[in-house]
Parts: sequence; C-alpha cells; structure tokens
Amino acid sequence: MQEQVREWLEQGKVDIFLGYKNIQGHPLPYCYTKDNLDETGNLIVGKARYSLEKMATKIAAEHPELKIGLLVRDCNQRALNVLYIWNQLRPDNIETMSVNCCPSKLKEHGDCSYLEPEKAAPLKMMIGIDNNMDVETAEEFSQEDRYKRWMYEFQKCLKCYGCRDICPVCFCKECSLEHKDLIATGSVPPEVPIFHLVRAVHMGGRCIDCGLCEDACPVDISLRLLYRKVNDIVSDVFDYNTGTSADQSPFNMLGEEVKLEPKPI
Amino acid sequence: MDFNIIPSVCSYCGCGCGVLFQVLDGRLIDTLPMKTHPVNEGKLCIKGWSLHEHVVSDKRLKSPMIRKNGELQECTWDEAIQTAADKFKSIIRDHGPDSIGVLASAKITNEENYLVQKFARAVIGTNNVDHCARL
Repeated sequence: MQEQVREWLEQGKVDIFLGYKNIQGHPLPYCYTKDNLDETGNLIVGKARYSLEKMATKIAAEHPELKIGLLVRDCNQRALNVLYIWNQLRPDNIETMSVNCCPSKLKEHGDCSYLEPEKAAPLKMMIGIDNNMDVETAEEFSQEDRYKRWMYEFQKCLKCYGCRDICPVCFCKECSLEHKDLIATGSVPPEVPIFHLVRAVHMGGRCIDCGLCEDACPVDISLRLLYRKVNDIVSDVFDYNTGTSADQSPFNMLGEEVKLEPKPI
Repeated sequence: MDFNIIPSVCSYCGCGCGVLFQVLDGRLIDTLPMKTHPVNEGKLCIKGWSLHEHVVSDKRLKSPMIRKNGELQECTWDEAIQTAADKFKSIIRDHGPDSIGVLASAKITNEENYLVQKFARAVIGTNNVDHCARL
C-alpha cells in the first residue's frame, strides 16, 4: 500500500494523497505529497475514521485541477458517489485506494473499531431510542410512545451542529439549520423536533449511513437510525439506493427535466 | 498546494478536548474533533467546532488601538502598554487598588494565568481576580 502510494505520487497519477499517519500516538489524517516521498513509509490505515472525502471537497474547492488520492473504506466510497452526483468533486480527479471496512452487520470482519455504538444505558432503553435498534424494532413502539421517545432524544440536543459539520455529504453554503425564517435561532435546546427533522429530510437521498454524525453527537441521539428510516422511504418510493452508484439522485432537479418519478408499483 | 492537519487542544474551557485544525495554503479552514483523544472521544461542543472562526474572523484586531478624541486609532504596542500603565497608576492613586479588577482567561495557559493573578496581587495590589470560564 505504501509503495503503491509512492508510485502514484512519483508518476503524477495523483498530486496529493490523503491517508493516515501516526502522530503523537494518534492515527490522524495526513496529506502525503510528492515533495516528501519518504513520508509515504508512514502511511497507515488507522482505526479511527475521518471524512477524508470532506477534506478532499474543501481542497478541490480551492484547487479544482488537483488530482487527489484517497484511502477509502466502503462508507468513504459511498460518500464519494454522492459528492460526484452533486458536483462537489470530479470523478476524473479522484483516485481511490480501497481498504478494509468497518465491522457491521453487513461485514463481519473489519479494521475500524470506532463505529459500533456502545450498549445503551438502562434509562435510554426505558424512555429513549437505543442507538443499536434497527428501523423495524423502533417502529414497533406505539405511535404515542415512539413520539415521546424521539422527543426525549431530541431535547437532549446541545445544538453543536456536529452532525452537520462532520457529515461528508453536507456541503451547502447556506444551511437551513441556521436560517432564522425556518428554525428559531438563538436558543438551546433548538426548536425540537423541527431542527432534527429538517436535517433528517435533507438527508433523504444524501445520507450514506456512515455513522459519523452519531459518532460526533455529544448526547448520543440515534441519528443514524433516523436517517436510515428517511432513506428507506427514498428507497421505497423512488427505488434509489443512496451512495451505491454515481447515478443521478431523484432529488437532483437541475437539468432539462425534473425526474421526481415514483417507482412503478 | 499545502494541506496540513494540526492536532491541538481546544482553548475554551478547562476540559481540554482534542481538536484537529485543517490548514489549507496557510489558512485555517476548519476544525474537527480528534476521535482518539481520551477527553472528548470525537465529540465537541459548538464552541469547539467553531474554533477556527475567531482566528480567521474579519473582526479580529490585528494591532493595538487607543481611543483618541473619541475614535479608535491604531498604535504601537509600546504606546498601548504605556497608556494602560499610566491610567492604572492614576486610578490606583485616586481610588485605591481595589477599584481595579482583573479578568483572566480560559484561553491562556496555567502559567500565564498564574502570572495574571500575580500581577493583580503583587503589582496592582488587589484580590479582585476572576476568569471568563465561570459560565
């Protein structure tokens, strides 16, 4: 892997390569360049996941012609697909090196150990929504109970905007979450449940289920489950599985015709 | 093109969350929580998430200023420190040292904060010392 990256940089296949390096005992994202080829010997995969594609998006915004190499797990690849669709990155300028994925229900073996949510505490099990739940189990609660449980989760919010800031597919210059006409600003907790539901709606056809938002949430709101539900609807109604391909999203309204077509029943 | 990730510690409160600064072409563009940091484990509050904003803010002062004839004017550090020292002296002379209070900061180091209280107690002669992190 290290030699391959060195080769890529030497041959000019990529101008920079975003990977990880052990710095002060922490696996941190690191930008390898051709100016310092010997550094590539320090390339590691790193157990902690960072959104390298979000960094690539920020670099590409300043340097559109730069060829960027990237270490990708499955989640990074899905995020890249979404970023291609929404014209935040150009596929021609991105070179990916696939590495082993995080352990999950889909993949038994994985290298990343920072993904699985911790076991929920008794109070959360009793009155909140367990982060480990799947959509079906969460829907088994009665409507009233479910509403109470979700409201319990939402009212914990500190409004740190961490879910948005860490999200690899959140790139809008103007964010609805900061728009005072849409959501009351200047108070904590934020306007619940609107704050979270607005974000959830915007995740439809965008969320690639990487779990970084839940990882970054200081109060453990079951965000991943919420967005999974939203994407289930997108998948049911439009037959569109976000991130699995670079096909246009049903929500992409730009272009000759609007294709907001439901899937044939 | 120059892109660096700089590990650092949040300078706001006493928790000391680990943060990563993203620096593109010498300009601080974003802050990220450090996932492996023992204090925050990949989480941050809104102040931590916005650390880069006050560094690159347009409103940030780049030189000391003195108000002359009702208007703030840029000046040298020597001039600013001399003016502050003269004013402090005259206030202490007229109203006593307890007429002055010193606000330290959570954004500076332990050692600097030690110096601040030493300055308040030994130089000015007051016990009126507090800090901004008492939120």
